[in-house]
Amino acid sequence: MTTHRMQSPVLKLEDVAISYETRYGDIEAVRSVSFEVPRATTFGIVGESGCGKSTVAFGIVDFLGANGKIVGGSIKFQGRELVGRSQAELRKLRGDQISMVYQDPMQALNPSVRIGEQLAEVLTVHRGISKDEAWQKSIDMLQRVYMPDAANVMGRYPHQISGGQQQRVVIAMALLNNPALLIMDEPTTALDVTVEAAVLDLIEDLKRDFETAIVYITHNLGVVARVCNYVGVMYAGEMVETAAIEDVYGKPQHPYTQGLMRCVPKLGTTKESSRLYPIRGRVPAPKDRPKGACIFAPRCDYVTDKCQNERPLLREIRPKHSARCFYSEQIDAGTWQPPKGLVPELASEVEQERQEPILQIKGLKTYYEQESKSMLSLVGMGEKQYVKAVDGISLQVPPGKTLGVVGESGCGKSTLAKTIIGLETPSNGSAEFLGFDIAQGVSERDQQLIQELQMVFQNPDSTMNPSYSVGHQISRPLQRFKTVPSNQVREEVIRLLHAVRLDGSYYDRLPRQLSGGEKQRVGIARAFASRPDLVLCDEPVSALDVSVQAAVLNLLLEIQREHGTTMLFIAHDLSVVRFFSDYVAVMYLGHIVEMGPAEAIYAPPYHPYTEALLSAVPIPDPTVAQKHIRLEGTVPSAMHPPSGCTFHTRCPRRAMLPDGGKICETQEPPWRYNTEEHRIYCHIPLEELREMEPVVTTG
Amino acid sequence: MFVKDYMTRHPVMIDPTMSIVEAQGIMSETRVRHLPVVEGGKRLVGLITRERMRIPPTELASLNVWEITRFLSNLTAKDLMIKGENVITINPGATLEEAATVMVEQRIGCLPVLEEDIVIGIITEIDMLIQLAALLGGGVPGVRATVRMPNKKGEVAKAVSAIAAQGWGIYASGGVFAPKNPDFWDCVIKVRDVPKEKLAEVLSGIEGQELLDVREVS
Repeated sequence: MTTHRMQSPVLKLEDVAISYETRYGDIEAVRSVSFEVPRATTFGIVGESGCGKSTVAFGIVDFLGANGKIVGGSIKFQGRELVGRSQAELRKLRGDQISMVYQDPMQALNPSVRIGEQLAEVLTVHRGISKDEAWQKSIDMLQRVYMPDAANVMGRYPHQISGGQQQRVVIAMALLNNPALLIMDEPTTALDVTVEAAVLDLIEDLKRDFETAIVYITHNLGVVARVCNYVGVMYAGEMVETAAIEDVYGKPQHPYTQGLMRCVPKLGTTKESSRLYPIRGRVPAPKDRPKGACIFAPRCDYVTDKCQNERPLLREIRPKHSARCFYSEQIDAGTWQPPKGLVPELASEVEQERQEPILQIKGLKTYYEQESKSMLSLVGMGEKQYVKAVDGISLQVPPGKTLGVVGESGCGKSTLAKTIIGLETPSNGSAEFLGFDIAQGVSERDQQLIQELQMVFQNPDSTMNPSYSVGHQISRPLQRFKTVPSNQVREEVIRLLHAVRLDGSYYDRLPRQLSGGEKQRVGIARAFASRPDLVLCDEPVSALDVSVQAAVLNLLLEIQREHGTTMLFIAHDLSVVRFFSDYVAVMYLGHIVEMGPAEAIYAPPYHPYTEALLSAVPIPDPTVAQKHIRLEGTVPSAMHPPSGCTFHTRCPRRAMLPDGGKICETQEPPWRYNTEEHRIYCHIPLEELREMEPVVTTG
Repeated sequence: MFVKDYMTRHPVMIDPTMSIVEAQGIMSETRVRHLPVVEGGKRLVGLITRERMRIPPTELASLNVWEITRFLSNLTAKDLMIKGENVITINPGATLEEAATVMVEQRIGCLPVLEEDIVIGIITEIDMLIQLAALLGGGVPGVRATVRMPNKKGEVAKAVSAIAAQGWGIYASGGVFAPKNPDFWDCVIKVRDVPKEKLAEVLSGIEGQELLDVREVS
């Protein structure tokens, strides 16, 4: 039945090229990009950082800044050419017909103006309607984006609402003028996985109801699989493959797309069964891109002479599926074999006898004292308030194993790591490492103890001194802990650099001369320099691109196997944790709610919170069926955690208990032991938890 | 069936200052025949249709070849559009038949859909035809029967219950007054997964009704 008429696309790009003027001359950031976005569909643009995704998005509305310019091709919006329009005309279009949502909602909102005024302004300025009417329409729109208590939110400032709510406000603002085209640049990247899932659902609803065409830019292949109808894969400024979503995941035709798929850990894979295969090399800078050759040739496993000497065109492999490769028909991704040396041979894990745990924590509490605002506190008589960041955690880690810690932001993951490493002093409880008491600050610790406990941080940029060379940074722990005699420090640094797959020439480089992945490698080399027994990794790969992430994860695994190091691995990405960990602890509001071997966590019985987290994870496979569970609201304040089970305010499974789960509000739940190692902190009996369907089912 | 569910949202719209040459380009590029002309926040000020683009031959005759180009390039949407208050519009809550009646009475091919005076969509004769086809189950395979019945209460129910008694399901139906015969009512009924002969047998057995036609459709 034909219910849709043949319609021209809302947005059509043909052979677009965008350049930036720099002191080295014009640099072509994007070239030969063509795609179309029909109405009421989402077109995803994926690729690693530096591939020109955002440049394309900015180019559509000519937001390229003073030095950017469109140097070729055509961009048609509803049949109208946008290239060469005056800024005034474009401004009008941006107000009326095209809206944008960016990654960081705080940058789109004015921190000093109330949300209501910011929203109403869109209508009073662009439509000239009265203030009262605009106010009412803004409330309606906030309700449309499922903002709880919309009328009240109108009177608040942006910092008074959570990140997910801020992004809702930005989306509401973008939709107030009912745009025909919505450009979203990584709109959920800064959000927690549970919030992200809710925002992605919202985007899907809005697309259907408003028939908006959406250009969705992201680096996350899982997110693309969830929201997009069509995908364009970008590499080094070129579109290398475009296709419908099922085809990109089911039958990727370009070697780069195939490579990307091998880089991402899937939720179903475990540390033993699977490998991640990074793409060798890295994305070339615009000025180093190969000329007159296939742009991917230097990193491609199928490269031939032809690829080196001729530039392939984006050609249709089958209807609605195009790839920029000479050999798409011949290449079969199923028969791909990793080239030698791409992934290190892992020393097989030595099955150890059950040993004493290397790290043992009992009832650990870390509270942050909070100034009370009452008058009494001025004279020191006020009641003290505490943020209960870590509130009674017990866990143990056997030697040589990895414990993954997951949870939403604000659940106390990082505080736990900081307490173990000694940057925070615990308020209560005991922590033992190799039998030594570590329940004290780092300054009181024995140097040997410090040596055995090292940390890899999330953001390699902020953990390296920008004015010290790489060699200097790595040699510091070596000198301090006297790991090697002082005359051998340099050799040892170079050995460590080799161990993280960097060559000796990096010794004299400064951090700013390294890419993000290389900096993180240096960070890892530094953490392992003192040959520690326990390494705490706080989101070590979340700032990295997928192909770099794969390489760094492999590297960590390899070093761990080689040295038998124990690791505490903190991450918010459940697929990465699953891939990397032997044991997993799920944290919520300072408590561990579920703990056990990795495979047990990812299959029923689940703690309701684990179940919700798992159903929120975007899976890079559109054929996988996932349960739809969304948590309401945000993590409550750790200063006044809810009574009883701290999760009761958001628990979607409370109704399973008699009286609508009254017991959850009043009593702390018991630990229920599924197996000796797998425990769940919940009132719901194990038998009922066991009967739940698995969250993820592969189709 | 309301206008808001079947209109085209985000129609292609233009500014009053746009040159008519460009507007024509947009029309052929996007294959639309009607362009609402809007100002400041999609407020409707006029409408351009293909007809409006035709320059009357009398006017052209008075120009020489060289003047035509200049004449055309100076022409803007504002000059040619049907002006604001003369554009016939409809609100999103109207029914499809209301919209169709307006279009027939006014002999026009499209209705901009306005909420207050903001354009939120457009509904055209094509949208109507798509829904007419959909109403009668166009494109869905099955058996299609046309039954002529007296214009009386309970006649449709007779046919429906005869079909229901067989355990069959109707997936589309519609009725109109029989052409030139207002005492009768022609009803189209479409049934899935039945042999043509059996449906014919059941329907022709209803008293007072006449089976005009039965055929398999795809």
